Amino acid sequence: MPILSAIAWTPLVGLLAVLLLPNRALTAIRATAIGAAAISFVLSWSLLFRFDRASAGLQFEERYPWIPELGMTYAIGVDGLSLPLLLLCSLVTLVAFIASLGITERVKAYFAFLLLLEFAMLGVFLAQDWFLFYVFWEVSLVPMFFLIGLWGGARRDLATMSFFLYTLGGSIFMLLGIIAVYLNADPHTFDMRELAERGRGWTVAFQIGPFLAFFLGFAVKIPVFPLHGWLPLAHVEAPTPVSIVLSGVLLKMGGYGLLRVAGLLPGALEWFAPFLLALGLVNILYGALLAWRQTDLKAMVAFSSIDHMGFVLIGIAALNVVGFTGALLMMVTHGVITGALFLLVGALYERTHTRELGDYGGLISRMPAFSILLTLAMLASMGLPGLAQFVSEFHVLVGAFQRWGLFVVVALIGILVTAAYSLRVVGQALMGPLDPRWAGIADLRGRELVAVVPLAALMIGIGLFPSAALSLTGPTLETLGALFVAR
Amino acid sequence: MSNVLAVMPEIVVTVVATLVLLVDTMLPRRAERGWLALLTVAGLLVALVSGPFVTVPGTAFNGFVQIDTFTTFSRVVFIVLAIFAVLVAPGYLARHDIPAGEYYAIVLFSTVGAMTIALSNDLITLFLGIELMSIPVYALAGMQRHDRYSNEAALKYFLLGAFSSSLLLYGFAWLYGVTGTTEFGPIAAAVARTGLADGPTLIALALVTAGLSFKAAVVPFHQWTPDAYDGAPTPATAFMSVAPKAAAFAAILRLMVGGLGPLGTDWGIAFAVLAAVTMTLGNVVALAQTNVKRMLAYSSVAHTGYILAAVAAYRAGDSAGAAVLFYVIAYGLMNLGAFACLLYFDIEGTRGATLMELNGFARQEPLGALTFAIFLISLTGIPPTVGFVAKVFVIQPVLDAGLTWLAVIIALNAVLAAFYYLRVVVHLYMHETDERSAPIISERMLNVSLGVSALAVVVLGVLPDGLYAWALQAAAPLVLR
Repeated sequence: MPILSAIAWTPLVGLLAVLLLPNRALTAIRATAIGAAAISFVLSWSLLFRFDRASAGLQFEERYPWIPELGMTYAIGVDGLSLPLLLLCSLVTLVAFIASLGITERVKAYFAFLLLLEFAMLGVFLAQDWFLFYVFWEVSLVPMFFLIGLWGGARRDLATMSFFLYTLGGSIFMLLGIIAVYLNADPHTFDMRELAERGRGWTVAFQIGPFLAFFLGFAVKIPVFPLHGWLPLAHVEAPTPVSIVLSGVLLKMGGYGLLRVAGLLPGALEWFAPFLLALGLVNILYGALLAWRQTDLKAMVAFSSIDHMGFVLIGIAALNVVGFTGALLMMVTHGVITGALFLLVGALYERTHTRELGDYGGLISRMPAFSILLTLAMLASMGLPGLAQFVSEFHVLVGAFQRWGLFVVVALIGILVTAAYSLRVVGQALMGPLDPRWAGIADLRGRELVAVVPLAALMIGIGLFPSAALSLTGPTLETLGALFVAR
Repeated sequence: MSNVLAVMPEIVVTVVATLVLLVDTMLPRRAERGWLALLTVAGLLVALVSGPFVTVPGTAFNGFVQIDTFTTFSRVVFIVLAIFAVLVAPGYLARHDIPAGEYYAIVLFSTVGAMTIALSNDLITLFLGIELMSIPVYALAGMQRHDRYSNEAALKYFLLGAFSSSLLLYGFAWLYGVTGTTEFGPIAAAVARTGLADGPTLIALALVTAGLSFKAAVVPFHQWTPDAYDGAPTPATAFMSVAPKAAAFAAILRLMVGGLGPLGTDWGIAFAVLAAVTMTLGNVVALAQTNVKRMLAYSSVAHTGYILAAVAAYRAGDSAGAAVLFYVIAYGLMNLGAFACLLYFDIEGTRGATLMELNGFARQEPLGALTFAIFLISLTGIPPTVGFVAKVFVIQPVLDAGLTWLAVIIALNAVLAAFYYLRVVVHLYMHETDERSAPIISERMLNVSLGVSALAVVVLGVLPDGLYAWALQAAAPLVLR
């Protein structure tokens, strides 16, 4: 059975099924949508049993000609680089679907768009043809545009327009980059693996142009300072499940793309690495400081994403296996943690209708389960050893230190600030005297627990047994790292 | 006899046009709109089918006419666009008391003109086609006789159209003077010998370029576009914005790429610059519009720029010609569709809807809003729509021809355009109905034809392969080898 196609297309089948259901059949719509996401989830995680951990190459490949005149192929497959993100994507999206049970307005359209979004995101991580990759990348814009614009908060118009325009403004240059490398390959091809083999031989002078074009597309998505303008707006205005997907999966598309391009245009990446390091450090400091200054919890989590994505950048700038591993792992762990954080913040907002940190206090006495999970996620986010993010940060720092030495110290300041704001949230919201307004507040409900507990389990699991995750990525990243001169 | 067979589809369309006018006089006024539309569409379908069966490739009428893959392809394009334009019109024509018979006949005559351009192998046939295509459209713009704006549109379109035709004709005269022939093949041979060495060739080239640029609405020859599109009755605008443009590009491909191909290095760079200016100005001015009809008018100028960019990339070979043809079809479907979506709004006169009048449309007419959104997303160039693949097919030869700067300008323009197209989607979906929203009319024929073409926009966006392969074949005879 072509398992990867089954994983990607199940949400689309679910979408068609949802569209055929009558508008009023809310339960059936929800069940169909979650069912489709669950099938994708189970199928993708079943790959863990079949994935050959010793191989660096593509597995479960499928290829069909699509537009043969121009060499476009429907080529999908997974390797150590894409599998972890594929698993993250199907998990976080399923969590978002469960968190979407609270949506009551235009339910059918909502689930239809969310399913389309899942299809596009899975496609991005599966595509092994740059054109197909780009198509999936762009398709993800449309459902996101509607999800923020129709179910978002007060300033959703502005949020959804700036999200769309920023992303398109970056990605359209990526398209130019893709076509440029396509034209430079002889014979012309969009195939990722073939291009990677050819691209290594191209002069650095040629590589730089396409690389910058690619980078612009990825930089908006990651987002890299100063192209992050859309992120706080989109995050704050988006409904909770959409925020989960946005930060949990969508941002990772940028980092994933950058790692793919590392294999395609290594010369340019080497040339660009110092800038990448600088941008990464700025991201860390800027994101951390701004997150620290926020009193709106959701905005804080949003800015902390910028901070953590900075680690992905410096991990890639390290140009060695350890750094790449850290960057990839960082994306996975950040996806898990930030998904949980948005979920918890959203649950709290649903109950209190405020996101101001100062409005809370003493919640632990009324919401013990919530408090434990929030504390866990916050500790994980600041990189406490024993939890998932520590493993990735450690890899990133070791890798970057090997290449860049003491420059990396700047990143430590970011970690310090992260600790400061994370602990402040725990201190102010959960500890202290209980605000009388929240005397009757309810703890997490069953479906909220179902959504968040798997994420919490992963935070602890990856933290305690990182080798389980590292074994997936090893050979592929070894091959990638071998392209760069060790230092 | 073989001469007659060669132009069978054109004859069929002409006969149908005459038939429509005749039947119109016999039918009682009330019964006319539905039946006439059906008769028109049926006639066009007969013409569509007759094409591949009765004609043989080659030249006819002593070299005045050439039937090749390009002709066949273009015929299909023009007929499909005409069918689409006829199907969306009946409701509007009845509401605004526009004589349906004349309307359909005019569309048909214009279509014959466009088809004639596609089969021309000679300056005289080409000019005949251009005039036969344009003159009915001037009348079309003024069909809403009692509306001032419609009159203004017709007059402006006619004056500037006549002016550009005379420029073109003057250019043809110079070209004949320089080369001593009116047939494309010998013209190409003659200019290949002389190059652009002498003044007269330059004058001929400049006049022809300017004349064709008028017809295609290339900046700075676009000034007639916004007023003509804005003032014309909306279904007429839908047709005017696509068919004459497609015909103009057929003329550009036949004459510039075919006949004047040897001078490509000279007009190529001119077209590249014109393309950049056209798309940028079209988009920048469209940004400032609050009336959707006028915004779409300027956006259609911007799309001219994208198509022209592919013409400028002629050096890339077949893929450039195929890009032009593919984009013309994509543009035809999505732009005609977008204008036709304005027919949902019952608004006095010819003025299209303002952004505010679209508020809350999605709640009242979910499927209509969905088709409108699909057309707009396609115009923006986002997958999985035909507008996206069309843009990729254009960028590929542009980069291949070494025009990197032009590709970058196309990219920047795509972002500009996204802003104003999506603003419409925001008003359709994300604003609630309020006192400014326009009343809405829903008709089955409009719903069905828009639905079918929206579906086509998506299907061709996912599976463009067959059409693109055909466009490549159609582009093959144009390029000199």
